[in-house]
Parts: sequence; structure tokens; C-alpha cells
Amino acid sequence: MSVLCAFALLGCSGQKPTPTTETHEARQVIDEAGRSVTVPAKIERFISLAPNLTEIAYAVGAGDRLVGNTTFCDYPEAAKKVPKVGNTLQPSIERILALRPQLVLVTTASQLEAFTKQLNEHDIAVFVTDPSDLEGVFRSILSVGDLLDESAAASELVKQLRARSETVDRAVAGLAPVSVFFQLSGQPLYTAGRSSFVTNLIERAGGHSVTSDVQEAWPRLSDERALASRPEAVVMLSGDAMGAAANTKVAVALRNSPAVQNGRVYLIDGDLLTRPGPRLVDGLEQMAHALHPEAFK
Amino acid sequence: MSNSLKNEAPTISRNAVLLDHSARATLRKTLIVCGALTVMLIFIVIIAATLGSERLPVVDALRALFTGGASSGALTSTQRAILFDIRLPRILLAASVGASLAAAGASYQALLRNALAEPYLLGISNGAAVGTMVALVFFGANEWTRPVMAFAGALGATFLVYRLARGRAGASPERLILAGVIVTTFQSSVIVFITTLMDATRIRSFTFWLLGDLSQAASGSLWIAAASTIAGVAGLTFKARPLNLLMLGERDAFDLGVEVERVRLQVFLAASLLVGVSVALSGSVGYVGLVVPHLVRMSTSGDNRLTIPAAALAGASFVVVADTLARTVIAPRELPVGAITALIGAPLFIYLLKRR
Repeated sequence: MSVLCAFALLGCSGQKPTPTTETHEARQVIDEAGRSVTVPAKIERFISLAPNLTEIAYAVGAGDRLVGNTTFCDYPEAAKKVPKVGNTLQPSIERILALRPQLVLVTTASQLEAFTKQLNEHDIAVFVTDPSDLEGVFRSILSVGDLLDESAAASELVKQLRARSETVDRAVAGLAPVSVFFQLSGQPLYTAGRSSFVTNLIERAGGHSVTSDVQEAWPRLSDERALASRPEAVVMLSGDAMGAAANTKVAVALRNSPAVQNGRVYLIDGDLLTRPGPRLVDGLEQMAHALHPEAFK
Repeated sequence: MSNSLKNEAPTISRNAVLLDHSARATLRKTLIVCGALTVMLIFIVIIAATLGSERLPVVDALRALFTGGASSGALTSTQRAILFDIRLPRILLAASVGASLAAAGASYQALLRNALAEPYLLGISNGAAVGTMVALVFFGANEWTRPVMAFAGALGATFLVYRLARGRAGASPERLILAGVIVTTFQSSVIVFITTLMDATRIRSFTFWLLGDLSQAASGSLWIAAASTIAGVAGLTFKARPLNLLMLGERDAFDLGVEVERVRLQVFLAASLLVGVSVALSGSVGYVGLVVPHLVRMSTSGDNRLTIPAAALAGASFVVVADTLARTVIAPRELPVGAITALIGAPLFIYLLKRR
């Protein structure tokens, strides 16, 4: 009996709601999590569940159609006035439904499984972004622009951003890479690992992340490894974006590193380094200036 | 060991009273057992000091350890810093936390005459956690407010559980555990409420801390830990004889001349100090206070004069081993030590239950 029930349930969940194309014109796109998503051709109302996606939406000129975002979304200024649906980690599904969006933009930081299912049941498309490097951020900008029918603006934006990043590339080309410890949080110690876009950003800025071989994007690192890494520079986050005071102190394990001894500890606005959006290039420029001041005289 | 878990306390106490007639024999046994456990602890600490996410040359590391850093052979200054500034303080904090929780567990079990009494299961660890979080939210990063508030939280939770557990017929084991569950879940919701009010990155660090995290072994807090552990364990050991008598029941203990109320208050204070400071410095490391005293009682007698100091020493070894695993199994990343103690502790406890 119970076996039968289980089968019945399996049968139900296995049967995907067939994409209905009769009401509006719709199209199939593949998102960055590799899912095939059916989205309306014309998006009039959408929600962003991450600050970087909100920034991308405004940068490509679709901010006026953003009907909901998160409490983390504080840039540009206009984003603050958009109705909030909770934060990236715990969005309120009721609020989202009440705002009647056609599309919800999310990052892999959100709890996706249950959430996506519920939204799909209400014919709301969910598009997932997951950039792992600067090129990936450019790709996200292009796909979001494409989804929101702002392809031209998105390509123009990416062209400018790419030009700026290539200026940095040229400036640091041939310079000896500086070994960098990226301190996301000092106590407990969190850093950027192999699959983080920050690791890629450090390389683009003429550095080498001493934790680039550690698994995960944001690993909890042992103090011993931090001490043994002996970086030439430490990059930390400033601003209230990532937990303020606790993070503006260098981790105990790094206090005797060459970076601290030589005064090479750099505070960079956290919003520029932790949001894989258009302003990541600002972060790249600031990091490159910090690591290689000689290249930008 | 014919006693089943339910009526373990009375059986033990009969042993204890019998043993009381040969105080000298007890003392000798205590010294032998504690001596052996001390040797084991030292041995484990030395092995733990040679293990970690960074590999150190073992012979040189050992020489450095035994000479107190005076002769560190071929160790580089970085390796010396890893050994003395990071690894060793952390191992010592682990030992101190383990000793505190195990001794506190042993004394709660004796005082409340309940084999399942444990700081974590009674909600006392959670009370300390609430105190610590209140200190962090309202008093900032002061090194002293956290242990003090955690102590207050632990003491508050202890009295709350005790009051809830005491019916007209006294505190039955079932009532006590039920009261512990209620106080634990209530405080858990307070913790969830406080974390919801905080910003995202601090939540991440708190979830790590809540499961037990020994990486905050800065030198200042290490002294606080050592001082409170020594004071607390010594205080409980001095109360071991009245605790033995209390295991007969409060009425009998009173007839035998024990100032029940006073002893209870003193034991609550000492145990809350041990639990509070441990939680403030390392979060909630579960199961130590349950598993370690049980193992000690199974292999010796139920006499608290032996159980409390022996549990402290064995608990220190247990948490050092658990934290060494937490530091090494997924190095250079880390696990919360509480996850390891629960992984070892819960199955071990089930095994103990089944075996009886």
C-alpha cells in the first residue's frame, strides 16, 4: 500500500508541468545552473534575490521593471525603495507571489530546490546565475540583459567593463604576482577558495591567492594554514556589507605575516569584492592599484 | 556492573557509602587512577601537538615541546609559531573545556541522581550560549563579559530546570529530562531569534560557534579557561563526599548531616562556572558530560571522590582527541568540534544503553 503511494508520488513529481506557450510568447533558455528555463519573451515584472543581480538589472536599464528585491540590495540608491521580499538566504515566498513577477533572478546562494518548485507551480520562471570568474560575471550581465530585452545596453556595458579590465591586464602583465591572503572574516577565519570569483579576481589584479588550492568557494580555513601561507599582502573588506567591525581586524594567525610586517594590509569596500556584478571591475581596479602601485603611476 | 541505567544511582550510592569506610583505600585508588589518566592525557596532548593541517617535522616538534621552545632544532620560525601560537593553545583550551564539561556532568548526575543529567541535555549549555550571545550583542567584543554572562546564563538555566523538575514528590528522572528539553528548546528559539536579528556573515560564524569551535584560543581567554577549570573541578571534588551521601536521597543525606541546600547551591555554582566559561570560549560541545563520566563509572566505582577528578582528566583527553580530528580530517578546512563529539558520543551512548 505504502509502496503504491510512494510510486504515485514519484509519478507526480517526475511529471514536469509542461511549459505552456499558448498565453504569451515564451522561449527556452539555459541558465548558469544548467537548467532549461521557460521564460516569457517580454518581462514586465521581475524580482531579484541578490544584490549583484539587482545591480546588473539597473546597469542594463531594467530597474524600472524590478518589482521586488532583498534587504541586501542597497545599490544603486533607487534599489532601496523597491519592495523587499526578505534577504537572499530567506526570501518570503508569499511576498514574491504577491508581487506577481514573471521572472525571479537568483544566485546559487539561495536555497534553490524547494523554492524553485513552488515558484514553478505558479508559472514564475527562475533563472539561476553562478559566475565563478570575471568572464562569468560578464556572461551573467549578457544573459540578464537578454532576458530583460536589454541586449544592446548589456553588450555596451560589458564592452566598457571588459576594456577597463583589459587595461588592468596590460598594466600588471609581466609583473611578479604578489601572494595575497583574502580575509572574508577574521574570527572565525573564512577566506576565498578554488571556486570563488575572488580567487580569479586576485589573479587578474596581478596577485596570487595563497588559498587558491582550497576546496569550496568560501572555506572555513585552519589558523595553521593561514599562518603557514605567509602572504605578501592581505586584502580585507571594509564597509558594513559583510559584518563590519569583526572583519576589519587582521586574523591572529596573520599578525606576523610579511603582509602585516610590511604594512601591506588593504581594506577594499566589501560591496565591490563580494558582489559579482558590474562594480566587481571597480574592485579589480582597486585591488590592482593596491597590489601593484608601481604599475599605475 | 549489574545496575541498569534507571536505578543506577541508588546502587552506586550504596557502593559509595560502603567505600566511605575505607577512606584511605579510596584515596589510594583515586591517586592511581588519576595518575594513569594524567599520563594518558599528557601522551595524547603530545601526539595531538604533532598533528594538524600543516605538517611539522615530528622529532624537531617534540624537541621544541619538551624544551619549551628553547631548542626547536630545524623548525622554521613559521613552524614554531604554528606549534606554540596556534596548535598548543588550542589543545590546552580543548583539554580545559573537556575537563570542565565532564566534571560538571559527573556532578549534575550525582546531585540530581539521574544518569542522563548532562549540561547539554539539561539546557545548561544553551543557557550559557544565550548569555554569551547577549554579551556579544549588547556589550561587544569584551573578553570578560562573555564568560561572565555565560556563567549567569548557565546558572539561570540550572535553577530553571531544577525548579521545573521538582514536583511535590521531588525531582523524578523523567521530569528532569522533560524540564531540560523544555528549557533547551525555549532557549534554542531565543538563539534563533537573536541570530535572525544579526547580519548574514555573523550568523555563519555563530552557527559554527554554536556547534563548538575551539579556534578562539587566544592567550588571554586560555588563562580564564584554565583558572575556572581548576577552581571548578577542585570545588566539585571537595564536595564529592556530601555528593556521595546526596545520592542516597536528600532526606537520608540530611539525616546523615549534609546541609543539602548549601551543598546544592555550591555544586550548581561550580558546575555553572565550568559550563559557562567553556561555552563562552568554545560554544556548545555536546555529549562530553554524558559519555565521559559513564565510562569512568563503568571502569571504576561510583564514588564521586574518584569519579569527578577522573572524569575531568578523561574528559580533557576526549575533547583533545575530538578536536584533533576536527582539525585534521578535512584539512586545511575545519569542522566544528561539537560535531565530532556528538558523532563519537551519541553512538557510544547508545551502545552503553544497549549493553546494560
